[in-house]
Amino acid sequence: MQMSTDSPRTRSLKADLLERLPLLVLAPTVLAMFLYVVVFSLWTLWLSLSTSTILPDPSYGGFGEYVALWKSKRWTVAYQNLFLFGSLYVVGSLVVGTLLAVLIDQRVRFESFWRTVYLYPLAISFIVTGTVWRWIFHPQTGVELALQDMGWLSAQFDWITDRDMALYVVVITGIWHASGFAMALILAGLRSVDGDLVKAAQIDGASLFRTYRRVILPSIWPIFMAVAVVLLQFAVKTYDLVVALTQGGPGVSTTVPAIVVYDLMFQRGQIAQGSAAAVMILVALALVLIPYSLYTSWRRRSEAATHG
Amino acid sequence: MSSNTTRRTWTVTALASLVGLGMGAAHAEPKTNMLHQWAQGSEAAAIAKLGEMYEERGGTWEQTAISGHTSNTLAKLRSDVVSGNAPAAVQLKGPEIAEWNATGRTANLDDVATEQGWDDVVASELISVMKPTGNWVAAPMNIHRVNWLYSSRKILDELGLEVPKTWADFNAACDAVMAAGKICLAHGAADWSDTTTFDSVVYGMDIDLYRKAFQEADLEALRSEQMAEAFAQLRKLVGYMDDGINGRSWEQSMAMTMDAEAAFFMMGDWTVASANAAGYEEGVDYLCSQTPVDWGGKGFILNADSVVFFEQSDQDYVDGQKLLAETIMSPEFQVTFNVAKGSIPSRTDIDLSEGGFTQCQQQGLTDLKASVEQGTLVRSMAHNMTVPQRFRGAMMEVITEYVADDSISPEEAAMQLADAVEVQQ
Amino acid sequence: MVDAQARIAFDPLSTGGRTRRLTSRTIVYLLLGLFSLYYMAPLVILFMNSMRPLDDIVRGGFIDTPQSLSLRYWKEAWGTFCIAGTCEGVSRFFMNSLLMAIPATVISTALGLVNGYVLSKWRFRGSDLMFGLITLGVFLPAQMTLLPWAYILGSLGLSNTIAGLVLIHTVQGLSFTTLFCRNYFVAIPDDLIKAARIDGAGFWRIFRRIILPLSPPIIIVTVIWQFTGIWNEFLFGTVFTSGANQPITSALVAFSGSGTGVRAYNVEAAAVIMAALPPLAIYVLGGKYFVRGLTEGAVK
Repeated sequence: MQMSTDSPRTRSLKADLLERLPLLVLAPTVLAMFLYVVVFSLWTLWLSLSTSTILPDPSYGGFGEYVALWKSKRWTVAYQNLFLFGSLYVVGSLVVGTLLAVLIDQRVRFESFWRTVYLYPLAISFIVTGTVWRWIFHPQTGVELALQDMGWLSAQFDWITDRDMALYVVVITGIWHASGFAMALILAGLRSVDGDLVKAAQIDGASLFRTYRRVILPSIWPIFMAVAVVLLQFAVKTYDLVVALTQGGPGVSTTVPAIVVYDLMFQRGQIAQGSAAAVMILVALALVLIPYSLYTSWRRRSEAATHG
Repeated sequence: MSSNTTRRTWTVTALASLVGLGMGAAHAEPKTNMLHQWAQGSEAAAIAKLGEMYEERGGTWEQTAISGHTSNTLAKLRSDVVSGNAPAAVQLKGPEIAEWNATGRTANLDDVATEQGWDDVVASELISVMKPTGNWVAAPMNIHRVNWLYSSRKILDELGLEVPKTWADFNAACDAVMAAGKICLAHGAADWSDTTTFDSVVYGMDIDLYRKAFQEADLEALRSEQMAEAFAQLRKLVGYMDDGINGRSWEQSMAMTMDAEAAFFMMGDWTVASANAAGYEEGVDYLCSQTPVDWGGKGFILNADSVVFFEQSDQDYVDGQKLLAETIMSPEFQVTFNVAKGSIPSRTDIDLSEGGFTQCQQQGLTDLKASVEQGTLVRSMAHNMTVPQRFRGAMMEVITEYVADDSISPEEAAMQLADAVEVQQ
Repeated sequence: MVDAQARIAFDPLSTGGRTRRLTSRTIVYLLLGLFSLYYMAPLVILFMNSMRPLDDIVRGGFIDTPQSLSLRYWKEAWGTFCIAGTCEGVSRFFMNSLLMAIPATVISTALGLVNGYVLSKWRFRGSDLMFGLITLGVFLPAQMTLLPWAYILGSLGLSNTIAGLVLIHTVQGLSFTTLFCRNYFVAIPDDLIKAARIDGAGFWRIFRRIILPLSPPIIIVTVIWQFTGIWNEFLFGTVFTSGANQPITSALVAFSGSGTGVRAYNVEAAAVIMAALPPLAIYVLGGKYFVRGLTEGAVK
């Protein structure tokens, strides 16, 4: 090591700087994120309590916009859809992704082919996804027509035009788009499972199914959580998919909150009410994320306690 | 606009004008950037023509075309205004003109208007929209008629039916069509198209109801018995449609009618432009008439596209706006644009027998004049020409839900309609 | 490294008798095959329809045996289709998208790598909180951030520029890239780092000598994710550009917007495939890294 020619004071300053370096390096991102997450959210909150209509307006307006928002049928349907679609989409993608990952994990041939087939939908934008699947789902241009042309004249597949079933069409399309991502991460996880655990289960005579259920899948629980986070943010932000697929219809049955926010803020010039809707989306997120983070920190603490 | 931007702009303008003075008379280079929704099809071609005419007159033309039914153009407008770059020219209509005027950021067009004599040639019902506080703020590009009924010539001839004049006639005709195993009313369900149809129903059944409910958003009118009756008629109409209305576009519905798969189609006059482009012929494939009215006489539900100008600090843009306003109101542009769009010019002094206007369009102008005379002219709620968006949006939600859900009774629907508006007041 | 031996030894399908093995394998392949239909259907349909004449599509629906095929709709979509009065197809918008997506991807990935390194190996007081803050960024709906970004771009003088879009996508991408990289680097044993520090290596040296060499898999994953997300994004691309510098996602909407005239489904399909080609190519070529990279990352 070269002998330093710095004075003691410079040396300690340098040492200080070195210690702070990680923080300094992280600082720009943290500042940007503070602006993006905290400031934007607070600004939206403030707007929701203002009298803004076609342009932002700083005067205080009270909670009236929230009241008006919740009295609208389209909003209550949209909010319900957020939870319904969100849970079906996240759980469904995880289930399908796990199934596909387990199948591929059986040392099948042509793995890169299967993997590419299941993964490529993620490359397709939501607008295109929604448009193409609408062609497929619409009874007069898609599957129903094809089946009828083939001779099965009473074939029916018109979920997309049915108020009660249309949301499931959105779920199926969403799962098509994202399950490949779940599959990829879960497959990676499956491959990194501790071999000893598996051997032990085998020695104990556990069946294939049991081994997966009791040993392998639980050990990659963190991966499920990571995938769930990514899926959840897709679900919350869903806009283009629904607009391209059903335009929120029939009626308002497949509307989602992001559509209401955009429509209120920009089409109808009711920025305050749109902001209120956005705040409600954040509330829904908090309802999911806060319990989750409490749970993980509890788990971490209890693990530290048992290992400590 | 932030004070920094304003200060910067003033400095630049001041310096520029000093330089200009130093170089002698400043050379005006009018330019513009127009924001609008007509990104494709014949309308895009028509706007391209506007660009050509503009450049011929010495201006530099730029445009931002964002497809989709205005929500994206409005998003861009708002964000542009918020970021301090209000666009030079924007396609805006109806009550939005008044709303933006109230923000004080719109430009005053009175100079151009007086020069060109707009007050004399523009239809009076339209003038009030273009001059919300007494001075010209927007240049009207056209007049659309929304209450058109298109009938399939083939089906009418086949079944020996006449074009229905009243709603009772229409229902009877549809019963006959349905009995013969055909679809009576072609329709593509969407909030705006459902409301377009409902506009015609309410208007045709009771003009006063239309005025009170859809122009004034009067709560009593909205929850009245007459409104429930109108909803009942709408329910009947839904019964005359087929099962595939969800996800069908209006062009597909039009094609259904003109291909004789359905008997009738209700839509605005932009249908004519589409029909022409697709090769259908008036009188052969389709007949055009007004949607049924129960009070005898000519009815006209009006919709108009217009361009609003926002105040600019750059003199070139200011000059560019004047030039654009002149170009838009020029007979040359009015003819080209309206022939392409299926509408009629906003100037009433243009002869429609020349220039390529179809029979239906010429009929539209005659009906407009008759309607003005009879005092039956109204503006369209469905197409954002009457009540503010917050009421219109709320009403459209109720109407489109009603069309999609046949468990909602007409009386309930009327109640919901009034409640939806009340909540937004 | 993954305990490869033990893992391979567990081949569930090799247990049981020969018939059982055959049945199990058949079922597996059958299931895989059926699922592939579900996944491939839209792409095949798009592809077919991009080559069929329009009245064929209108008459027979989207799922139909094509009467004739032609590549001219592709040429039309690329170079001659009229969007907003200019008849140059989507080529120009394609370039705009590249100009926007590449810088944003590179910058956000680079920053993500460094951030991930800090948050996983240089914990300090509050670093967990900062990580939480950064992660929260992935959840914000775009519609809510539109107006605030408008203010910011306006005051920076970046409205209606591609640079402005690069800024937005970089900041919004930081959440994802940091999340991915940090979760990946966590698996690198702390002992390696400790040993290096004892040897006198500093912050950047460790980054260069230890972290970066192990990073290629996560770099690829992050680049794929970012590029795809930015390329396919519509809202900001449309609102914060104008006229000539709009990205390809805006141009695509012009194919399907409600205007007069019949919707050219075939040209639209061709344009859609063209627009999807860069992300698609990346996924097809880089897909194996998604899995392999994450497997190799589980360094023991």
